[in-house]
Amino acid sequence: MARRERIQPHWWSKSLAGVLLGFVLAIGITGLFAWLGPGGLHADNKIQFNMWISALIWMVLFACVYLFSTGLKAWLWLGGASIAVWSLLVATQLLMQGGA
Amino acid sequence: MRGDILKTYKTLHTWTGLIGGMALFICFFAGALTMFKPELDRWVSPPVQQLPWVEESRLSLLVEKAIAEHPQAANSFTLHVQHNEGVEAPMSWRIRSKDDSSTYWLASLDADNRLMVRQHEPSQLAHLVDMLHQTAGIPGEGHHMWGVYVMGAVCFLYGLALLSGVILLLPSLVKDFLLLRRQKTSKRFWLDAHNVIGITSLPFHILIAWTVVVFAFHDQIYDGLEALVYQGEPAFARAEADPDAPVFNTAELLMPTQMAPVITKLSANFQIYEASYSRVQGNTPSVRIAGSDKAHMVRAPSFGFVSLQPYTGEVLDKDYLPGYEDGWLDMVIAVFALHFGSYGGDTIRWVYFMLGLSGAFIFYSGNLLWIESRRRKQREAGQVVEQQKNARLMASATVGVCWGSVAGVALAMSIGKWVSATGGDANSAYLWVYYLVFLSALAWAFICGPAKGAVHILVLCALACLSIVLSALAAWLIGPPHWWHAGLAMVEVTALLFSLIFANMAIKMHRRARCGPQDSVWAYAERPVATELPAGIKPVSASKP
Repeated sequence: MARRERIQPHWWSKSLAGVLLGFVLAIGITGLFAWLGPGGLHADNKIQFNMWISALIWMVLFACVYLFSTGLKAWLWLGGASIAVWSLLVATQLLMQGGA
Repeated sequence: MRGDILKTYKTLHTWTGLIGGMALFICFFAGALTMFKPELDRWVSPPVQQLPWVEESRLSLLVEKAIAEHPQAANSFTLHVQHNEGVEAPMSWRIRSKDDSSTYWLASLDADNRLMVRQHEPSQLAHLVDMLHQTAGIPGEGHHMWGVYVMGAVCFLYGLALLSGVILLLPSLVKDFLLLRRQKTSKRFWLDAHNVIGITSLPFHILIAWTVVVFAFHDQIYDGLEALVYQGEPAFARAEADPDAPVFNTAELLMPTQMAPVITKLSANFQIYEASYSRVQGNTPSVRIAGSDKAHMVRAPSFGFVSLQPYTGEVLDKDYLPGYEDGWLDMVIAVFALHFGSYGGDTIRWVYFMLGLSGAFIFYSGNLLWIESRRRKQREAGQVVEQQKNARLMASATVGVCWGSVAGVALAMSIGKWVSATGGDANSAYLWVYYLVFLSALAWAFICGPAKGAVHILVLCALACLSIVLSALAAWLIGPPHWWHAGLAMVEVTALLFSLIFANMAIKMHRRARCGPQDSVWAYAERPVATELPAGIKPVSASKP
């Protein structure tokens, strides 16, 4: 583990990261679940479940974003995670065109 | 737990509580009342003149005659199958005009098979309570009411407040849990109560925060999912209408009893409650049959559904039929049901009523704790301490908003009952009374300051609840055109109970304001205390929670 830094407030940048990148990441994670999770993309009514679960992921991400020691770190980690998840999602979409 | 995490989340808990607490108080208190909407509506409305009931064999004739005389009914009408006090006629329909207002119509047949039609004005009291529950009374309406979006955003923060509250409690959770220290200081008592109720009802609160965010922002999330994940496929595609589909003769419509065997085959315990027919003269006719099945959770508010083709009996959609939901929908329906309390019958309705009120208590006590932690202490006898202005303002806002809304609803109920009995327009009275009482109480709390304001408004709450009981009593004594429903005595009993609770609170507030510590926003006047503090009142220790 790296040396622990004290948490800086950085309310605005962390909140923005939580709302914006939190949404992007939540939709990305839900997207992976929609394509690769049980039932595949077109399971009946799964989109309703997906919508509910993405809201929950978004809220959890938002609530935890203040644990980052600085606003910059929040943006970098959430941004990096978003890029990773979305790359996987886009790759999945290209490979499985049309859904399983 | 690291100190900086605690400090960060303490700030977050404080701020989210300050931003959302009072609006959430109104939503939770009104939400508790929504559990008993039908009862509240019946309590304020005159007993309905039920149109004669029509036996199954003549139902088809009723539909035919009603559509012939009122062609607009063919677009959408409902047949009520279960005959009870809440159902006013065997057939009803609603006509929406262009300005989005609706008129409601009831129809039946008399003994000689002549059509009887009556326009019907449903009571708006339940609507007021529901509006407060969804919006906290914030006016304005777009696709949803604006207040719904505001509350969605508030609940986003509320989720954060919940997590931060848990983080704050973790270090002392094992030690202090279920400990209610009455003896120490009043602040300790309020904090313990806030914590124990918060932790025990935490799953309920997480669920409420989550569902409200979804209720407010589901359109935006669906749009995001459709565009990005589903690559532009619409999430809820409607089947294309077949222009060559045959148009049927309304005389051949299947009545609920004729469709019952089809449904029984799917679900043996499904009790049909009502059948809503749509577009029976078009080429996509359908009928949605609502009913209940005590063994299953249902989506909302209290029924499950199955859709049939109303001429052939073909099953169009059984996704919402209790027991037929697939795995995904089952989970979604469970979440809906957990928000609405639409399972488990009357027991769960009372449990949800209590959960709603305990939620309101959490927000109220949270504000009191914030005010108390900003209290400037009197260090020695005779010293004049002036409290911070923001603590005073917050105290005024808290008592004004919270108890003002309670008094507003209670007075809307009792005044509404008198207005309907005297033939007035009770439906517009509810809104007027509520907002008038609420805004006056709020203004009063600021004008008189928190101490006097709290006592006065709590007295008003006690009297308002008492007026519910007295109105019912008076109506019973006077007799028609006033009315009293014997079956709704629990409304009066509950009102009486709360009247006593509010009276008790007012007395305690008054005592504290006069004899309690004077270095508080809850004291009548901040003046130098000449003597020692009265016996039995210890100065508050400076410990932080």
